[in-house]
Amino acid sequence: MTMAAAETDAVSAPASTAAAAPSPEDAAPPRRASWGRRLMRDRAAVLALGTLAIICLGALLAPVLATHDPYVNTRSVMTPPVWAEGGEWAYLLGTDGQGRDIFSRLLYGTRLTLLIGLVSVGIGGFVGSMIGLLSAFYPRVDSWLMRIMDMLLSFPAILLGLALVAVMGQGAVPVIIALAISSVPDCARIARGIAAGVMKMEFIEAGRAVGLSDAALFRRYLLRNCISSIMIFISLRFGQVILIGAALSFLGLGARPPLAELGMMASQGRDFLLFAPHIAVIPSVAIFVIVLAANVAGDALRDVLDPRLQT
Amino acid sequence: MISTITDRLLLSIPVLFGVLLFGFLLLQLVPGDPARVVAGPTAPPEVVEAIRVEMGLDQPVLVQFWAFLERMATGDLGRSMISNKAVTEELASAIGPTLELMFACLVWSIPLGIAMGTLAAVKRGTLIDRGIMALSVAGVSLPIFFIGLLAVQYLGVVWPIFPFIGRGGPLWTYDGFMHMFLPALSLGAILVGPVARMTRSSVLEVLKLDHVRTARAKGLSERSVILRHGLRNALIPVVTLVGLQAGYLMGGAVVTETIFSLPGIGRLVVGAILSSDFTVAQGGILVFALGFICINLIVDILYSLLDPRVRK
Repeated sequence: MTMAAAETDAVSAPASTAAAAPSPEDAAPPRRASWGRRLMRDRAAVLALGTLAIICLGALLAPVLATHDPYVNTRSVMTPPVWAEGGEWAYLLGTDGQGRDIFSRLLYGTRLTLLIGLVSVGIGGFVGSMIGLLSAFYPRVDSWLMRIMDMLLSFPAILLGLALVAVMGQGAVPVIIALAISSVPDCARIARGIAAGVMKMEFIEAGRAVGLSDAALFRRYLLRNCISSIMIFISLRFGQVILIGAALSFLGLGARPPLAELGMMASQGRDFLLFAPHIAVIPSVAIFVIVLAANVAGDALRDVLDPRLQT
Repeated sequence: MISTITDRLLLSIPVLFGVLLFGFLLLQLVPGDPARVVAGPTAPPEVVEAIRVEMGLDQPVLVQFWAFLERMATGDLGRSMISNKAVTEELASAIGPTLELMFACLVWSIPLGIAMGTLAAVKRGTLIDRGIMALSVAGVSLPIFFIGLLAVQYLGVVWPIFPFIGRGGPLWTYDGFMHMFLPALSLGAILVGPVARMTRSSVLEVLKLDHVRTARAKGLSERSVILRHGLRNALIPVVTLVGLQAGYLMGGAVVTETIFSLPGIGRLVVGAILSSDFTVAQGGILVFALGFICINLIVDILYSLLDPRVRK
């Protein structure tokens, strides 16, 4: 582990502190009752969560809500959105350079963008947390695993993405793999920090003393006490992953046309920036709103559930 | 001090090896037959075979890897599969704009981020603090290309103040500066937020420490307490942050170069990937990886220079 990296770990997540992990005796019920209420008191968080819920609903219901086929070209090319001069009610957000309805494409694009983000953060977060937890649990493999994580860390996500696309060709799959791999070392380091704190607690020793198997100790004592902190970190990573995925799509390296993906839609709008800026601006704003809502909600969740992780 | 630097240099050897292995595998894993790609789809089989032998593709993988390492050591990255120019030549002409872009972006965004973060920390809890933090969260959430597109639209087209296509020459010339303005603006914009956020929390942390209380007790002015005793110590994590953001910044540079048609490494790599010019893609990716290693090495060394506690 590089020194600087080790230090930021300590800065961004004072996770090595035992206090990061709530001890099970800490009367879980009242805490659970209060965090929801505390979260609801944070107006920004409520707004962000509401926005996320609406976006997810829209993405899920894309086939129902879409007013047009998102892949069919029409003759009404570059129609402005309905609020602008020359807009039509038939095309709420206007049409793109090929006459496709932007509203419908936005729904489908959000679907793909969210899917790419969720799948890659899910896989990367799971694998990374497991590596981190194992390396805290078995000190013998710790330095090896962390050294490998350091190696992975020296491949920024965008480089991995470029490399994988070079090898596998354009598509959503190499982008997902690259984003997942690049999430692994970050999650592993955070999980390891959190788990190291938990491993120092007395109840772990007590568990060993009563003769629990490693598997039971790992699952019932370690995992349960780390999971919420790790989940918060993963949710904070979600926004970042969406941004990198969108950037790769924007470069033409992500999902292939005619599929709709927000980054790709923005990139297609680039050619019409002069006459119809809305084609590029609408999907960009959509990405911004998704990531902003995810970041604000993640921050709020962290503040409420695990204030020690605060930066 | 010296030993810290030596340690860090030694630590980067396995990473460097990993990077080279990665670069090597990249060309191995490319679908299809590289010899066929070089020869072209219509070349007769014997030509393809000759190229295969010439490129050493008939050798065992380990021999090929060794040959690859030997070529790397002599700075030979092969030839472009499309233009047939030496890859090092292509990279050499592209590295200037990329470095200029990085410099032009860091030179305004980091000071601004530090200033905003310090201001927010000093005015903690006020409207200014909230405003700055809201701005920085928004900045962190912006897609890299969004500001670029807006900059092209408003500062390039609607009010044509700045040129937005290509490079105007070296950065220190008027034309070069004008051409670099919008790219540096849009790339730097993604860095201001994280820097401001990190500075704020770091300054708040430091202002709680005893030596700051002592400085106040001595009767130093608030300004000197914050700038000399607070900020100076608070900047250490900020340095690290820049190292951690280097990867993201690189991605940003690739996108920015593409938007503004800057002839840098990022645009070269993307173009190479899209046109299946694998040797150029490999060279560019290796350059980026090496750059990333160097940045983190420098950050670590800077870190131990700034913080005597790290030196043991």
